[in-house]
Amino acid sequence: MFARSRFVARRAIKFGSGSRTLSTTLPRRADITLTVDGKEVTVPQGTALIQACEAAGATVPRFCYHDRLAIAGNCRMCLVEVERSPKPVASCAMPAMPGSKVFTNTPLVHKAREGVMEFLLANHPLDCAICDQGGECDLQDQSMRYGSDRTRFHEITGKRAVENKDLGPIVKTSMNRCIQCTRCVRFANDVAGVEDLGTTGRGNDLQIGMYVEKVMDSEMSGNIIDLCPVGALTSKPYAFQARPWELKKTESIDVLDAVGSNIRIDSRGVQVMRIQPKINDEVNEEWINDKTRYAYDGLKYQRLTTPLVREGDRFVPATWEHALETIRHGLINSGAKGDEIKAVAGHLADTESLTTLKDLFNKLGSENLTLDQPFGDSPPATGVDLRSNYLFNTGIENIEEADAVLLIGTNPRHEAAIINTRFRKSFLRRGANFGLIGETFPSTFELEHLGQSAKDAETFFSKPGNGTFAKIWKEAKKPLIIVGSAVMETKDGAAVLKAVSKHVLANQARFLNQEWNGFSILQRAASRAAAYDLGFTPSTTSSSVKPKFIYLLNADEFDPTTIPSSSFVVYQGHHGDLGAQYADVCLPGSAYTEKSTTWINTEGRAQLGRTAVPPPGASREDWKILRALSEVLNQPLPYDDVLALRDRMWDISPTLVRYDSREIPSVELTKLGLQVLSENKTSQASGEKFKKPIEDFYRTDPISRASVTMAACSKAFTKGDYVPADVDEGATAQASYA
Amino acid sequence: MTTLARSIPRTVKEIRFHLCQTSPASRGVRQFILSSYSGIKASNPDLKFLVREAAGVEPKAFVRWERGVESSTGLSGLNEKDVASALNQLVNQQTVGKA
Ligand code: SF4
Ligand code: FES
Repeated sequence: MFARSRFVARRAIKFGSGSRTLSTTLPRRADITLTVDGKEVTVPQGTALIQACEAAGATVPRFCYHDRLAIAGNCRMCLVEVERSPKPVASCAMPAMPGSKVFTNTPLVHKAREGVMEFLLANHPLDCAICDQGGECDLQDQSMRYGSDRTRFHEITGKRAVENKDLGPIVKTSMNRCIQCTRCVRFANDVAGVEDLGTTGRGNDLQIGMYVEKVMDSEMSGNIIDLCPVGALTSKPYAFQARPWELKKTESIDVLDAVGSNIRIDSRGVQVMRIQPKINDEVNEEWINDKTRYAYDGLKYQRLTTPLVREGDRFVPATWEHALETIRHGLINSGAKGDEIKAVAGHLADTESLTTLKDLFNKLGSENLTLDQPFGDSPPATGVDLRSNYLFNTGIENIEEADAVLLIGTNPRHEAAIINTRFRKSFLRRGANFGLIGETFPSTFELEHLGQSAKDAETFFSKPGNGTFAKIWKEAKKPLIIVGSAVMETKDGAAVLKAVSKHVLANQARFLNQEWNGFSILQRAASRAAAYDLGFTPSTTSSSVKPKFIYLLNADEFDPTTIPSSSFVVYQGHHGDLGAQYADVCLPGSAYTEKSTTWINTEGRAQLGRTAVPPPGASREDWKILRALSEVLNQPLPYDDVLALRDRMWDISPTLVRYDSREIPSVELTKLGLQVLSENKTSQASGEKFKKPIEDFYRTDPISRASVTMAACSKAFTKGDYVPADVDEGATAQASYA
Repeated sequence: MTTLARSIPRTVKEIRFHLCQTSPASRGVRQFILSSYSGIKASNPDLKFLVREAAGVEPKAFVRWERGVESSTGLSGLNEKDVASALNQLVNQQTVGKA
């Protein structure tokens, strides 16, 4: 066979060596001009020829080339003719040269493509009818367009057969179909950080696998399914569920972490069939993590579909009218006044409903707006007055420029897997250095462990010592400190922020300037930045009040002891999880796939999710429920439709409705914010160890906890308990397609 | 600015500022925030003082009293002193009788 494994794991620069001499801004590269099919194009020097062709409007077929992965150049599908070159050249592996004349549409090129197709198909099983890739298969499409209409191969011995591999509960393999493009291997090594997915053997015997029998333990593994141009890697949970042409595609936003990954929800009828990434270079590039991708089956189970009213120790289905009336009576009978009326905003609350809830509770005379997190009953340590104090100021896209990164009390791999992939990228490409203060985790980049507690953080800033990282830190041109959201959920939050802000202010020139902001807080809940932007936080006085009426909006992570048994509790949300258990009345809301609402990610970027499927049963859009309740409570809110509500959001903060852009706080006010943090009167930092807030990546919220796929992942990856199925069962059946 | 800091009634629960990061019309508001933030917060620790920057917006101040009553005033082009007096006037508006 022709397939060559040219893949070499690219780790250009090793930890701590020479990386500091790299210039921190990318040099602007000169432009060059060449001719493609008689058309002149100008591209930056160093562009791959295939991209130059693309820029000239000439499509070049490809299998192995992918613009976000390293170049392998082993499929040969991208051959083009270049003047004065004796043979056709692989355009993906060839840089564009000034003045060259390229042809993508000549008889020679056509013949070359036909030949490559013929070789590929010689060993490819003819099982398109039962292959899940059908309809979105590059091999299928390109053989229709560029292939020959008949084959010359009649192999008596049959086609090449390759054993399937069991990579775990997510990726289904059918290795007979593999065309050895090595996209999956390059992704696993360069982006996901799974260095043991690789190739063995050569020529016709080249195989993709983990070398030994084991699962592919990565939170990003689902992406290799998208990358695989054929049906060799397909999705286990989605196996044989639908064909792509049956699906309605809705572009939306993920809410299972605070990154705000752009997604495409593929639905059929009222059911979400799968979730795919949508490209957004500023946020998730082209990737999403496995929870984003596969927690959707949780949307089918444990749903609240009708209002429920507690009678004794059971829930009775009720009409909306009855449920809302019960709440009115509950509020009156509880005798709650002012701050005794308490709201708790959970991780999955959308911005519209947070706004409505805040306005309603303010009208009722309450300032007791709390958050569903440890210490959520008292004002957050970051404060919410200045946005730069609680946002990921650096910007997701820009973190790749950081040359030294200090993580405090966070595991980006689980709290923001997408951000973690960017770290791996900067580690491999630029040799960025990383330090961690907090609980260790299996990271995808090299990491120096500098301590465990708030005290260690203070010490690192005051007496950094002589470790490798400490030395690099002192000289870093673009240093970056990331404080995890869990740090603010301990009593040491303010002390850590104080130490950090002092350090940042003392080194202003490097940390804060027009191009660089090296102070970032990493949120992990989709609703948190929105709640802070709105000022959905308690006051010091309200935190000491014992609540009599509690409204849980999507709150499922609270400590049950914070709910006095005498209080009247309302739960609004979409799943019967923790919150519903404590409720006197449950109001069924909509999940993120069922409503068109605003989400603010950890950078403060506003993005609009869109409705893909209708909410089940009697459930309604969340802000409308609260609007209706305001009417019943005789405190009608002044907005009747979503446009009026968004006007109100503008009045609270214009940043909430500036969609798809990031309003970056000015340097002056960022400094003011840091000054406020550094002057905080706080208690001494303790030596208590930071804890990872996410123990089990696959079960973090009501949706993923209800998901069967996530349960299987948790068992296989978090608990490491996976019994590989006999992957070659049915091998005899497959052989007949050869 | 301490007079303003002290004269904010307890019925004021939240003050919000909209301003632009760069425009000259927002310069006065920014100056005002930089110089009076700490003082106002020191004497009113429970007051929310939300500063929200967004490119090109008209600088404005909003005040929320008890029970969700709000009013606002435009601050476009005002200098620091005028911002302070406009704010003073706003927070001491007595039309909100509920206090
Ligand atoms: S499994 Fe798919 S992505 Fe991986 S080498 Fe084979 S064809 Fe390429
Ligand atoms: S795309 Fe160029 S060799 Fe595969």
